[in-house]
This record gives sequence, structure tokens and C-alpha cells, in this order.
Amino acid sequence: MKTKSAEDLYIQKDRMRYVKNSACSNLCYLAILFDVFYFVLLYRQDVETYYYTIQIGASIVYNLIFLLAVFLSSEGVKHYGKNYSLILLVAGAMQVVRIFVIPMRAHNAVIGEATVMSGFTFTKCFIYLAVSAACLIFSAVLNVIRCNQLEAHIKSLGEKA
Amino acid sequence: MATLSLQHIDKIYDNNVQAVFDFNLDVKDGELIVLVGPSGCGKSTTLRMVAGLEDISNGKLLLDGKDITQTPAKDRDMAMVFQSYALYGHMTIYENMAFSLTLRKEDPNVIHKKVLAAAEVLGLTSQLNKKPAQLSGGQRQRVAMGRSIVRNPKVFLFDEPLSNLDAKLRGATRREILLLHKRLQATMLYVTHDQTEALTLADRIVCMSMGHVQQVGTPLELYDSPDNVFVASFIGLPPMNFYDVKVSGNELVGNGFKAALTPEEKKILAAYEGKEITLGVRPENFTEGNDIKVTVTNNENLGMNTLVYGNVGNTGVKVTAKLKGWKNYKNGDTAGFSIVRKHFFDKETTKAIRGDK
Repeated sequence: MKTKSAEDLYIQKDRMRYVKNSACSNLCYLAILFDVFYFVLLYRQDVETYYYTIQIGASIVYNLIFLLAVFLSSEGVKHYGKNYSLILLVAGAMQVVRIFVIPMRAHNAVIGEATVMSGFTFTKCFIYLAVSAACLIFSAVLNVIRCNQLEAHIKSLGEKA
Repeated sequence: MATLSLQHIDKIYDNNVQAVFDFNLDVKDGELIVLVGPSGCGKSTTLRMVAGLEDISNGKLLLDGKDITQTPAKDRDMAMVFQSYALYGHMTIYENMAFSLTLRKEDPNVIHKKVLAAAEVLGLTSQLNKKPAQLSGGQRQRVAMGRSIVRNPKVFLFDEPLSNLDAKLRGATRREILLLHKRLQATMLYVTHDQTEALTLADRIVCMSMGHVQQVGTPLELYDSPDNVFVASFIGLPPMNFYDVKVSGNELVGNGFKAALTPEEKKILAAYEGKEITLGVRPENFTEGNDIKVTVTNNENLGMNTLVYGNVGNTGVKVTAKLKGWKNYKNGDTAGFSIVRKHFFDKETTKAIRGDK
């Protein structure tokens, strides 16, 4: 594997002054995509009236907030906004928490002889939310690292000047 | 950089309209050639044929001796700068300049180096994060040039790049292009209808009319020794004055005036004794004197010079003279002019008469 020279590393940092942080914003879009997979799968489930509670209403409202917050944050991190990492971290953590709110409880619930959420569906919900969370957390961490690098680089340029 | 050779090139459109007739030109390495002429003379068509944006109907196009007549535009290694800038509005200046290299999947670090180097040359370093809409026309045109520079092409093609700019910006950007050419030592083909651009930028000028090349030469050659009436009238501002005169012994006899011939001029016109020719006089070749009496119709002071418009006596033959200094002729005044330098043209062929030359 080709090792990067000091000059390459310097240019890589310098590029950040002009090139958008697309990797982090793309990770956000990926997180949104997996969240969509999750709620499409969840809302298709219909066993008796198990899902028709205030809980599902809250879930829908949360999804809207999630989509809005993550989309706005994706634009923020694209332009190296360090504070948006915090929103992404919280959103990522919330995706993990969500696994245990509806899917886990539905998986353990039984109506008559039927399980509300099958093991296969639960696994898929788990994967979607986990991947979404991972994307958000990774995006947040990567953004912080890049922002710090960029800040240090700009500072060093200022000192040189 | 590169040499370019256009050999017997014609452009005939599908509807049988011929836009360019037998165009021949050899462009030397690092030369800046300006194609100049009025609208519809075929200069842009010629440039587009060189770029590969138009098919060449007949003839050959050689780049560094290699025939590229049938080579697609993308493989010609030429970069074109358009009048309308053609920048992507949603991209930053950096992204616009890097775009062509990104499409070619070049190493991002190499792209970065090239873009910064081009931005430095063009004075755009502080603008790289802005969008085109945030820049002035001149800056946008520089971005368009920067996009060409990063590609490091063999030939630069400019299609009226300054036409969208106001007069002041045009002058400044023109000087930048000249500096850029000196710095890059690149082979450039530049199309314009503005003779001032042609005279100030060109190593050589190709003057075109109705699809035909009228004259190829240095700016001084075109100004000082025009080959025909068209070149004489097109190059120079205000344009040259033309008069029908008869060669009669030691003088030229025109409608309402006579002009004495020097022995050299008489020698040049020896074959035209007793015949009618066209006399050309540049406005700046008139001085105050007694050879021609002119009834002044307008007096325009330009500071260093004064443009005096009038008629020869009461004949209606028009005269435009550019006199040094500040003059205050009133409408109807009679002014006396002498001719310092004359140009002679055959009345039938419109070609220049240069004696034995």
C-alpha cells in the first residue's frame, strides 16, 4: 500500500479549506436512508391493533424531527460545522435507544398465540437502527476530527503569514 | 506547448451555405493569433472547427504535425474560454476550476496543487470559496481562464472572452490575458470583433471578411500596410477616409480637392497615370494645413486629441480628422488640412497599390 508523504498529508489538510466535507454529510444521508427502511418496515406491521397507541404517534413525530435534524446537520457538517456533531451524536444515541422502545417490546409481546414482531423482522429493525446509529456517530466523530485538523491547519497558515 | 497548422480549411453547412473559404494559417509555438472581423465573417466558426465543436468540411488541421481533423474535441488537448464564461453556478470557484480534472479522475492532491497554482496566477486565491454569482464579470472570466489553465492544454482558444465586460474591465482583463500569455508562453487563438483587442494582444492578426482571410500579419503590418480596402477600413479607429481620385501628373484630383504627390508616391502610381484610384487617409494622418478646405460639421474634444468631422467644401465628401491637441472648431467653420500619409488602392480590385513591391 502506498504510504502518504508529509507533503501529501499537508495537501490533504489544505484541501479541506476548499473541498466540502462530503464524507460526513453522505454518512448522514445513509443514516436517514436506514431510518426510512426501519420505519417503512415497522409501520407495515399490523397485528390486531397492537401498534395503534400513542407510542406509534410519538414515533412518527420523532421520525419527522429526526429527518429534519439529521438533514440540517448534514448540511452543517458539509461545511465543517463542529457543533453539528453534537446533534448527530445525540441522534445516533437515540437510534440505539429506539431499538429497545418499539421493536424489542413488540418482539417480546404476544397476542393470542401470535408474536407481534417475528424474530426476522426484529433482526431487520435492529440492523437498520444500528447501522443508522453507527453512521451518525461515525459522521459526528469524523467531523470533529476534521474540524480540529482544519482549525489547526488554518492557525498554522496564519502563523506562517 | 504546440504548433498548429490549418490547411485549406472550408466550412460548408448542410444547407450548402459556406462559412469559411480556403483558410490557411500556420501558428508557431507560443504564438498569440487573433482572428478579427465583423460579425458573420467566419472567425468563431474557424475557432470552433479548431476546437472540434464543428466538423471541418474540407482541408486538414495539424497539431504538432499530427492530423487531428477527425479527432473528437475531448481528445484534442485544447481548452476553450467562452464569452458567456460557462461556469457552474452551484459550484464554488475551486470546484469549477477543478471540475475538468475531477472528471478525468486525477489525484485530488494533484488537482489541488494545479487549482491553487492557477488561482495564484490569476489572483483568485481569496475567491476560491465563493460562488460565481458573488464575483464580478472580470473575475468570472478569470475563473473561466483558470479552468483552462489547470488542464495545461496544448492550445488555448478564446471566443470573444471580453465581450460581456464593460469598457474599463475589458481593458484590465485584456492586460491580464497578455500577461498570462507571456507567463505561460502558450499557443493561443483568440477571436474578437474588437480591433483594439486585436492590435494590443496579437503577435499576428488574421483579418477575415465573408469567410475569406483578407490579410495575415503583425498588428503594425495591418495598420500600416493594409492589403486591401476592407482591412484598411476595419483596422484603425476612427476608420480610414476613402476618396475616389484621379492620378494626374504630380497630383491626385478628387471631388473638391487636390493632393500633391511626392516623387516616391508618383513612382508607385506610375501605372495608374490618368486612371481613377481609391485614396485612403487615416484620420490621424491629417494635420492642419492648406491642401484641403473642409467645412466643419462636428468637433469632438477627447483631451489629448480632437476629432473633426466635416465635408470637403460643399461637395458632401466626408472627412474625419484626428488632430493633436484641443481644437475649438464651430459648425460651419472652414478648416484647412494637409495629408501626411496616403494609402492607395486599386478601384476595381480594392487591393493596395504598392508600386514594384
